[in-house]
Amino acid sequence: MNMLEVPLEIFRYKEGEPPHHDTFTVQVPETAHVIDAIDAVWAMHDRSLVFRRACHHSSCGSCSLRVNGVEMLPCITRVKDVWDGRAPLRLDPLRNFPVVSDLVVDLSSFFQRMSAAEMTITCDAESSLPLSVDDFAVSKIPSRAVELPVNLSRFNRFENCIECAICMSACPTMATDEKFFGPAALAAIFRARQKTDSPADVAHLLSLADGEHGVWRCHSAFECTAACPQAVDPAGKIMALRRELITRRFKKR
Amino acid sequence: MATLNYSRIRRTGRWVDVRRRKLGMWAYALNRITGIGLVVYLYLHLGVLSMLAHGQSSWDSFTALARSPFYLALDVILLAIILIHGLNGIRVALTGFDIGVRVQKRLFVILMLIAAAALVVAAAKIFAV
Repeated sequence: MNMLEVPLEIFRYKEGEPPHHDTFTVQVPETAHVIDAIDAVWAMHDRSLVFRRACHHSSCGSCSLRVNGVEMLPCITRVKDVWDGRAPLRLDPLRNFPVVSDLVVDLSSFFQRMSAAEMTITCDAESSLPLSVDDFAVSKIPSRAVELPVNLSRFNRFENCIECAICMSACPTMATDEKFFGPAALAAIFRARQKTDSPADVAHLLSLADGEHGVWRCHSAFECTAACPQAVDPAGKIMALRRELITRRFKKR
Repeated sequence: MATLNYSRIRRTGRWVDVRRRKLGMWAYALNRITGIGLVVYLYLHLGVLSMLAHGQSSWDSFTALARSPFYLALDVILLAIILIHGLNGIRVALTGFDIGVRVQKRLFVILMLIAAAALVVAAAKIFAV
C-alpha cells in the first residue's frame, strides 16, 4: 500500500493559552481521508488534541472543520485531493462559532437556531426511497421498492441536512451579525414551511424568516450553497422564502 | 469554560476574505468594498461642493484641478465603483426575488463584463475631453 507522509498544521487552543498552530507529520495510506490523518496525530503524537468525529461517512456532521481555509467534512475528504504534496495541510475550526478547544467549536447557538426553526430531523425521504439495501445485494431476493411520494424531489434535499454547521461557517454575514438566523436554520424554516398548509403554522414560520436578522440579512454570497457537503442549497431556500414573503406582501395591498 | 472569541474588527475582515472562495464571495466582497467607496465619495463630493460657498475663485481653482490627468483617473475609478456596485446590485436584486439563483455566477460574470466594456468606453471619452 502506498503511503503518504503528510505535514499537518493544526490550530491549537487551550483555555488560558494563546491560540497557535502546531505542525505534525503523519504517515497515512494514499487512500486516507483527512480525518484519518487527524486520528493519526492523536494516536501517534498528541493525545491532548481535541476534535470531533463519529460516523466517518458524512452522516453525523460532527467532524466539520476547515481544510486550508475551506469548510469540509474531513471524513469524506481525501488527503490527496486537498494536499499539494509540499506545504502543510492547514486545519482550523469552523468560523463564526466560539472555539472550545483546538478543532472543536461551541455549536449550541447553531442548535438553538435549528430548534427555533422547529426543525426536527425527519427521515421521511430516506424511509420511502424507491431503492433498498436488497437492490444492491447479490442474492436474488426481490427488492422492496416503495413508491416515491408525490413532490418528494421538491423537498428531499433538505432531508439531507446533517447539521454540520458548515454553511454557518462559510457565510460572511454570520461573522458580524450574531443574531442572523443563518443559512441552515432558514433552510430548515423553508423545509418546515413546505410540510404544512396550516395558515397559523405558515404565518409563524414566515414571521421567523421575515425581519432584520432573517432572510433579508443574506447578501447573496452563496458561500453556504457552495460549501454544503450535502447539496442542501441553503441560499436557494433563502431566496425562495424571500419570494414567498414578497408575494404575500404584494397580495395584501 | 472560557471559549475563544475573535474581535469584531477581525470578524469584519471576513467580508473581504476571498481566499479559496467561490465567485459569489468575490461578488459579495466587491459589493461591500464599492459600497463603502461610494459612501466615502458622497462625503468627498459634499466637501467639494462646499467650495461654492467660498466664492468663484475657489471654485475656478478646483475646476482647473479637476481637468488634470490625476483627477480624470479618479473619475475613472469612481465610474468603475459605480458600475460594479450598480450592476452587481442588479444580480443581488434578481436573486433576491428568486430569479436567476441557479445562474448567479454566470450572471455576475456577464454583468462584470458589461461593466468592464462600459468602463473602457467611458475612460476613453473622459481622457479625450
